[in-house]
Amino acid sequence: MKILVIEDDKTTGAYIADGLREEGHVVDLLENGRDALLQASTTDYDVLIVDRMLPGLDGMALVKTLRGAKNQTPVLFLTSLGGVDDRIEGLNAGGDDYLVKPFAFGELSARVAALARRPRATQEETTLQAGDLEMDLVRRKVTRAGQTIDLLPREFALLEHLLRRKGRVQTRTMLLEAVWDISFDPQTNVVETHISRLRAKVDKPFDTEIIETVRGSGYRIEG
Amino acid sequence: MANVRGIWTSTPLRQSLAMAALFALVSLVSLAATYWIVRDNTEKALRATLEQEMKGFLALPNAAAVLTFVRSQSETASPEDRILSYVLPGGLHVGNAALVSKKNGYTALSLDEEYADLSGSYFALSAPVHGGQMTIALSAEPLGDIREAFLSVFLFSLIPTTLLVIGGGVLLARRSVRRLNRIDTTLDRLTTGDYAARVAPMTGRADDLSQIGDRIDKMAAAQEQQISALKQVSADIAHDLKTPIQRVSVLLNRLQDRANLDSDSAELVDRANAETDGIVKTFQSLLQIAQIEGGSPRKRFEPVDVAALARTFCEVYEPAAEETGHALLCDVPDQPMYVVGDKTLLGQVFANLIENALRHTPDGANVSVGAVLDSGAVRLTVSDTGPGIPADERENVLRRLYRLERSRTTPGNGLGLSLVAAIVDMHEGEMRLEDNEPGLQVEITLSSTLAPDLSQSKPQQNG
Repeated sequence: MKILVIEDDKTTGAYIADGLREEGHVVDLLENGRDALLQASTTDYDVLIVDRMLPGLDGMALVKTLRGAKNQTPVLFLTSLGGVDDRIEGLNAGGDDYLVKPFAFGELSARVAALARRPRATQEETTLQAGDLEMDLVRRKVTRAGQTIDLLPREFALLEHLLRRKGRVQTRTMLLEAVWDISFDPQTNVVETHISRLRAKVDKPFDTEIIETVRGSGYRIEG
Repeated sequence: MANVRGIWTSTPLRQSLAMAALFALVSLVSLAATYWIVRDNTEKALRATLEQEMKGFLALPNAAAVLTFVRSQSETASPEDRILSYVLPGGLHVGNAALVSKKNGYTALSLDEEYADLSGSYFALSAPVHGGQMTIALSAEPLGDIREAFLSVFLFSLIPTTLLVIGGGVLLARRSVRRLNRIDTTLDRLTTGDYAARVAPMTGRADDLSQIGDRIDKMAAAQEQQISALKQVSADIAHDLKTPIQRVSVLLNRLQDRANLDSDSAELVDRANAETDGIVKTFQSLLQIAQIEGGSPRKRFEPVDVAALARTFCEVYEPAAEETGHALLCDVPDQPMYVVGDKTLLGQVFANLIENALRHTPDGANVSVGAVLDSGAVRLTVSDTGPGIPADERENVLRRLYRLERSRTTPGNGLGLSLVAAIVDMHEGEMRLEDNEPGLQVEITLSSTLAPDLSQSKPQQNG
């Protein structure tokens, strides 16, 4: 993927750029909002990572200007604030996701991957599948190797979310947002607990593991 | 919510009613005084006429002359205007009506059926004349005419004028009620965090209300500027603080990634990471309290099912409670309970209260979360069976960064309860800390609202 990072702090910027390059992305790093506006409007990127406060041109103004010029490249905002208002303001300005500083690299990487492959209005699926596991969304039934698995509603939602994003890492906070609808981190291990309960039903009785733990990042179902 | 003022309580209408009442009173008094003076003068004139005539009769030489004179006068005088009556002791009576007054002096008479062909009011003077009793009565009709004239003045000028004053007052009042309502609505919007709200110049004549409107607009503009300055300052501080924290976290991550790290060093890195998280959490809470108290807009408020929210947070904290041997009980009925608010912030209320309860009670204590819908209000409780808070300390714990002496040893930044208090305040709710005997019970009361009507959700936009 081709990613443009706009971050005025050199240490943070280099850390993001190096990390993404290690993952095999092509990364351009800029420190100034005005330069970024020119660069983003002349070059095609898959994702923009934008610090909200930038010298030259503020991150919010930058994204608003790009959106005004019909540039629809997905934007991940990095912010120092992180209040409820700031989050909504950022999303209203045309941001697609929002990450509060300080963040771990795994979180950033997972969110960038999620942005780049945003599902683009696919037709309604009625079954989801991974290996020998099958989920019937209409009858709300899960089977693996022909065996029916009984899941609690939260476990079902968790599995459905992972199945719909096969191959992509989902972090704790992403799962909290999607499955529990909580947009702040309550710092409990509720996600881990539910994942382990889900695993006990979905993976333990079988030979292979479908739900994979990605160290330092989150969880993934391989596609 | 816009308090739409009734016209009957408006100052202009009350003033015009008072003016109308005063005007009517003054007019009535002066009308009555004038009436009394005019009537008195007319009566005096009647008396003078009567005395003049009586003198004429007294000037006659004897009773026979009086008889002759009365008789001739009676022939020409109509008894309706003027009655002459002369009665001699023998019973002889002359005159145009048999009017006998036994009393000397003036009398006001009202004749009725007793006198077959006469009726009406008269003003009479009776006096002894040459052995007989002479009575002269003049019709009191002029007095009645005066009364009628004054009555018509009252009916045709005073009443319409009063009505006109009241009508004008109502018209003026309606205009000022409109202006006041506009000011009211603007103030409401300003207090609920819509700092862009303005009264806007009023059409029509300028008055004190339009001046107040202009002043409110000036004040609102100043407030808006201050708030945006405050926002800018918080953003600057946040940026300047978070950038180095982010750098520390980056450096720690790099250190962590080194393969040759021994286990002691790895533990130090983990501890440093945890401390960084603590700094961020404290800073985030302070920033959030400042934002909420600085007037966070409430226009994003929407109906939130707090019963569902309570259940979610019980579920979220269940693993944490299990880990520390706490029993987390969720005593929330299945029925939805809606309040108008911010879902994320209300969620933080539950998160902070449950986290607080788990942190400040010994392992094995009970923590219970409750929600009750009770006559238009939702009562949320988070109670524990821990050591509780002494009654004289309860006020203090809501203060920012305040921590009980004995809780200095437990982790936490002392911001949990003050953030909850700020959020409850923003939702115009009430928060009380009570004795759970033993333990602490935090009770929050919020006014409930009806479930949102899902059929009225916004239509999907096309294109």
